[in-house]
Amino acid sequence: MGRKDLVTYNNILKYICMDLSRVLEDVPTQYKKIIEEIRLRNGSPMNIYFNNKDYFITEGGALTNEYRKGILVDKEHIDETFQLISNYSIYAFEEEIKNGFITLKGGHRVGIGGKVLYSNGEIESIRNISSLNIRIAREKIGVSNKIIRYVTNNQNTIYNTLIISPPQCGKTTILRDLIRNLSNGTYDSNGRGFKIGVIDERSEISGMYNGIPQHNIGLRTDVLDNCNKQDGTMIFLRAMSPDIIAMDEIGSISDVKSIHEILKAGVKVIATVHGDTMEDLLSKRSLGLLIEDRIFKRYIFLNNSRGVGTIADIVEGDGFTSIKELEEVSIWGL
Amino acid sequence: MGFIKLLGSLLILFSTTWMGFYHGSRYSSRLKNLVYMEQCFKMLETEIVYGATPLPEALHNIHRKGNRKISFIFRDIREHLMEHGRGDIFYSFSSIIKPLKDDLHFTAEDIELFLSLGRVIGSSSRRDQEKNFQLILNQIGFLQEDAKDERDKHERLFKNLGILTGLAIIIILL
Repeated sequence: MGRKDLVTYNNILKYICMDLSRVLEDVPTQYKKIIEEIRLRNGSPMNIYFNNKDYFITEGGALTNEYRKGILVDKEHIDETFQLISNYSIYAFEEEIKNGFITLKGGHRVGIGGKVLYSNGEIESIRNISSLNIRIAREKIGVSNKIIRYVTNNQNTIYNTLIISPPQCGKTTILRDLIRNLSNGTYDSNGRGFKIGVIDERSEISGMYNGIPQHNIGLRTDVLDNCNKQDGTMIFLRAMSPDIIAMDEIGSISDVKSIHEILKAGVKVIATVHGDTMEDLLSKRSLGLLIEDRIFKRYIFLNNSRGVGTIADIVEGDGFTSIKELEEVSIWGL
Repeated sequence: MGFIKLLGSLLILFSTTWMGFYHGSRYSSRLKNLVYMEQCFKMLETEIVYGATPLPEALHNIHRKGNRKISFIFRDIREHLMEHGRGDIFYSFSSIIKPLKDDLHFTAEDIELFLSLGRVIGSSSRRDQEKNFQLILNQIGFLQEDAKDERDKHERLFKNLGILTGLAIIIILL
């Protein structure tokens, strides 16, 4: 596990300009394995982020809290890094740049900040890049093994499930692993695998790069990359005949409509949403409808009270009672 | 004795004529190479603007499809780019100034135009790239006309000069 994390980190360095990657190379190995984000901002010291804390990096690769000691990022660093990230071909990533991020090989994502240019009321491009946020995707295979029994039922099908969590607590990771488990059919020894359609609006679940999913999402999984949920729903229902449709970060009215469409077609849904508690969800108009209609039968709440990926609660969706039997630990399998 | 004189004279005549032809042919080869270059640029434009092919792959394709005489420069740029990975494509473009000058007989102006492509390529949206290409293709047209004029003016001149110089040397020596 640790070795793989190290390789991942070293692969990322290829996308960072030489001046900065040289410094990042000198970071102590124990940190290399757990760094989640590398942030470059024009005129500010380089920043890394892990375990909910951020650090600057000194010239020699040591971590520090004092920003004065951190290595400064200038415009050239950002431009060069951006060239490397886009493979010297910004024109080839126009659509991605419009969405504000580029997916790298390996499923890592780079968020972009800069001057947004509009044309005809739509974002045309982002110029004068001022910040880059390199998010290192660390696949956690097996994190859903303990919760899969809450999602499946005896009739060889699954419950419509909603995963709720604040940002950076692992909802996409859990969703991805659930998809993998259900798709492979490994959740019990004689279980069959489900056909799963993933609507991957932000290329986060599958980490699609050149048409190849960079994460393990199972044997029976089809992906619509970069596709919005409404269109994705229609495409899947028309001819892909999925058993389950999975989507990330629902919230808008149109998402709710899509979910109704899916249910009408007799297909199950797994989705994630930003939030903390049931009250929090009910307060959102569109989601409130879904919950009151008892559409979801399982709610999985995550937080990071015991580290990223702590299962805070699992609630069944008819009487809204907790059915969790797990202890409150992070299921990141540390 | 007369035979050696004749042989010597022919030798002189051959070498000066060859020098004249070689010098003169630089002008026509520059023109030819500029035409090939235009074709390669057009192909590159298609790759980028219509195909949105990533640059390293586009360069590889031009090397494969373009005229052999000049397409090697695109391979060299790609290799330089991949090897150094500095995130600076202009640096890779400027690494091939020498072959442009020595092998393709490009003038400083031609090379400047070539480098100006290196300054903009890949660094903006497709629409922007298209405009830059149009500008560069436009300029390459002017350079071709210039090369044509130069060729008409100088190629004959050097060729004649070669023969005449040879003859003059022979007359003086005899």
